[in-house]
This record gives sequence, structure tokens and C-alpha cells, in this order.
Amino acid sequence: MSTVRSEVALEAGRQRLRLWITAGPGLVWIMLFLLIPSAILLAIAFFSADDYGNPVLPLSLAPFQQVAGYSLLGWDSGNIAIFLRSLAQAGTATLVSAALSYPLVFFIMSRPESLRPLLLLFIILPSWTNQVVRTYAWLELLGPNAPVSWLAHALHLVPPHLGLAPGSFAVTTGLAYNYLPYMIVPLYASAEKLDWTLVEAGRDLYASGAKLFWHAVFPQTLPGLLSGVIFVAIPAFGDYVVPQLLGGDRALMIGSLIANQFTETPDWPYGAALTIIMLVFTGLGLVAFRILTRKLGGAEEATI
Amino acid sequence: MIPRGVRYALSGISWPVYVLLYTPLALVAYYSFSPAPNSTGHSLHAYNILLHDGAVGAALQRSLILAFGSAITSTVLGTLLGYGLCRFRNANAKGFLAHMPSLIIYTPIIMPSLVFGISELIFFNFVHNATGFLSAGLGTMVIAHITFQVPYVALTVFARLSGLDPYLFEASYDLYANGVKSFFYLIVPVVQPAIIGGFLLGITLSIDDFTISFFTSGPGSVTLPIYIYGAIARKGISPEINALGTLMIGTIIALALVHFFITRHRERAGQLAARGKIA
Repeated sequence: MSTVRSEVALEAGRQRLRLWITAGPGLVWIMLFLLIPSAILLAIAFFSADDYGNPVLPLSLAPFQQVAGYSLLGWDSGNIAIFLRSLAQAGTATLVSAALSYPLVFFIMSRPESLRPLLLLFIILPSWTNQVVRTYAWLELLGPNAPVSWLAHALHLVPPHLGLAPGSFAVTTGLAYNYLPYMIVPLYASAEKLDWTLVEAGRDLYASGAKLFWHAVFPQTLPGLLSGVIFVAIPAFGDYVVPQLLGGDRALMIGSLIANQFTETPDWPYGAALTIIMLVFTGLGLVAFRILTRKLGGAEEATI
Repeated sequence: MIPRGVRYALSGISWPVYVLLYTPLALVAYYSFSPAPNSTGHSLHAYNILLHDGAVGAALQRSLILAFGSAITSTVLGTLLGYGLCRFRNANAKGFLAHMPSLIIYTPIIMPSLVFGISELIFFNFVHNATGFLSAGLGTMVIAHITFQVPYVALTVFARLSGLDPYLFEASYDLYANGVKSFFYLIVPVVQPAIIGGFLLGITLSIDDFTISFFTSGPGSVTLPIYIYGAIARKGISPEINALGTLMIGTIIALALVHFFITRHRERAGQLAARGKIA
């Protein structure tokens, strides 16, 4: 009896050893080069800054007051405006990509099965080119000397010497362009699993097209839509390249504000505090969406 | 299943979106053929300058070292990680410790790349000041790129392995294969498509990335995206930058299409063979 038990314990020990040998290196790598560094970044937010912007003792909450807009010169609404602008930009980009994704996904579904992978590939392909290249490409289309901007001049949307880029419009466009595939792919996955008999049943009961979509198609694609919203909204909120290249000075977003604290005008504790606030917003968004997904009965996806 | 009227509407919306997706990229290519100074008509002038620009050549070399170096390492680490988690994790374990691996794997995927990049910047800075190792450069960039690729490779391999019949492993042990033998003669061949897929995904992620590269790079490690970004920030978009952009876009699109058609051809051949049509 005891030999059997010790044999079982020995086998469990061997199993743990094998787990450590195979999974250990990768996990330790991520811990060492990501979890520890990000813990350091978060800790820096609770230090004071010296003249060069480096973190020094004593511990202080001054960086968070700075985030809220307080400085030696009094209160300033600039940071709050930047936060709201980032939220609005991420929200608009998410809405635009969702609005484009539905027709695109059902367009692909309406094509012969052998063509579908290729049509999907052509939507994803631009996102495999480099971030900087595909983002600056929009400067060519929306810049001051491009036909689209002449049209905008003719309609008096922008002053003659300016283009649509740099500016808020260009940032929204760039974000939607960059993250469209992240909305399409999960939405397509849930559209592929769609139970068309429900749609047929609705049609037999003389439901209108809009009602069919709203009551038979939309609920079934909701899990895909919700994952898409997360995949688009979170990276769009903290994006760095798009506002930097297409935004100019008047469309500053949270990502650029954070990056400035580590590059141009160093103030590490302030930058770290901004990062914490950004991550808190992101985390709250994730939690809200998880609750929403559960309430709406969305299927949990298979996880590792 | 979709009425004809709706299908027309879907086509009417979708084809223009497809065109819009490629318009900016096409414009980059169009402007890359701009005329040489003091002449008219389209020309390959910008490509000629590019070819003789040593800085661009060096940047290309660094980009390739970065992409391949990080993808090879992360394929090894990620394959082992996915394999270990699928085979040796106690399925009944509960509590915080049992969830640790999942938490660790999903962190690099969820974390915004800006936060990722800045964390690495600070970490490498501290380590360099304390020990003298890891000064910002190509080495730190490779480390950072490995870190964001490992989870994707692990997930790809894990997904493939968890679809396998567990008795395959039993069978290999019954045939007196030990752990190492079973790994190399059973797992590697069976998971090979996932390993290759993970490797290609790693390359793609590395080529796509700018933000993390930007914050982990040093003065002597300018890669192609950083070169383009710096050139645009300094003097705006030039025909040379467009030529470089065109080459990068063209290469990626060509490789993606070749890969797509090769894998599809192979899948079809596999299906036909399975049906007994090819002996």
C-alpha cells in the first residue's frame, strides 16, 4: 500500500519536474523581462522626481496630483481633456470598425466557400505591414496636397492651407484602419457558427429584414462583436504611433503624453502615474465587458 | 440564406472598403516613382538613392537580425511552453498557483505596447546602471521581441496539441519511447505545422512592431521602422521614404500571398490524398 502511494507521489513529482523543464524557461523569461519591469514601472509612480525626472525618495503622491492637473501654477484642465479625447477617439474608432465589419463579414459569408479565406486575407494583409508605414501612408491621402483635402477645402471643412491630416479626423481614421482586422476576425468566427435555421424561422413568420437582423443575427454574433470591441478599444486607447504621426499638436492622446515623460521632457514618476491611470481605465473597461458578456449569455472562449 | 437585395447592398459597401484599405498603400507606391530633380515623368530615382544609402542597408540588416533572431528563440521557448502546459499540467489543480501560467502568458498579449515598451526601457536602464550589462541596442530589442512573441507561439502549439488524441502519447510510451524520444519523434512531427505557423507569426509580429522597438533601441540600433519614423519627424515624407515603404509593403504582401497559396495547395492535396484519390 505504502509503495503504491510513494509510487504515485514519485510520479507526481516527475510530472512537476517535466512541467518545470518544458514550461519553465518561457514562463521565467516573461516574468523576468515583462512582469518585473512593469512592476518597477508601477512602483516608480509613488516616488518623487529629481531635477532630471528620475525617481528619488521620499515616497510621494505628487505624481498623481500632477495627473489630476495640479501643478505649481495651479489647476489645469489639459490632462482631463487629453483623457476624454483618448476615450472619444478609441470609442469612435471602435464604432467605425464595428459598423464596417458587419457588412464586410456578411459579404464574405455570401461568397463561395473557396473564396472566403482569400477575401479575409485581403482585409488582414495591410495590418501585417509595419505600423509606421501603414500609418504614414494616410498622410499621403489626407495631407494638405492630396485630392481628399481639396474636397474638404471646397466644402469649407478645413482652412485652405491645412489638410485633413494632421488632426483628429486623421487620428480616428488611422486608428480604425489599424485595428479593423481585430474586429473582423472574431466577428467572422462567430458569423461562421451562425445558426441560419433561426433566420429561416423568422422569415417564415414574415419578419422584416431589420427585425431578422436584430433578433436572429445580431444576438448570435454578439460574442464576436464583444471580443472585437475589446481587441480594438484597448489598444486604440493607448496607441502611440497613430496620434504621433497623424495627430499633430492639437490631437494629443494619452499615449503620446505618457511617452513624452520618458523621452522629450523626462519625468518618470509622473509618466508612471499616468500609466497607472491608463491601465485602471483599461482594466475597468475589461471588467465591465466581462460582466456584460456574462449577462448577455456570450460564450466563454477556450483558453489555455 | 442571404436575400439577393441584401447581397447587392453588402457588395456595394464592401468593395469600396477593400479599395479604401489599399488606397493609402498604393499612394505610397505611386509617390515613390516621382521624377528626379530637374526632370519630369516617373522615374526610379528614389530607388537608386535608396540602393546607395548605407544607413538604409544597415537598418535592413538589423531588422532582419531582429526578426529572425527573436522568432527563432521564441519558437523554441514557446513550443516547449505550449507542450509543457498541455501535457504536464495537473488538470485538477485549483487555486492561484494553478492559474499562474495562464496569467503570465496572457500579460504580454493584453498589455498595451506603449506600457510594454516603457517598462522595458526602465528595466534595461536600471540593469545597465547597476551591472553594466544590457545597454540599449539590438540585444535589448531582441529580448523585448522574444518576450511578446513567446505567448503567441505557445498558444498556437497548445491549440494544436490539445486537439490530439491523448492515447497517442500512451502508445508511444508503450513502444518504449522515453520522454525525449517521444518529444522528437512524435510531438515535433505532429505539431510541425503549428511550430512553423508560430515562427511565421513571430516574424510578422516583429516586422509589424514599432512602439516596443522604439523604446528599447539605442543610438546604434536603428532598424527600418525607426529609420522611417525618424526621417519623417526630421524632414517629412520624401520619395526615398516612399520607395522604402513600397519595398516593405510589397515584400510582406508577396510573402503572405505565397504562404497562403502554398498552405492551401498542401491542404487540398492532403484532403484528396485522404479521400484516396492520390495513391
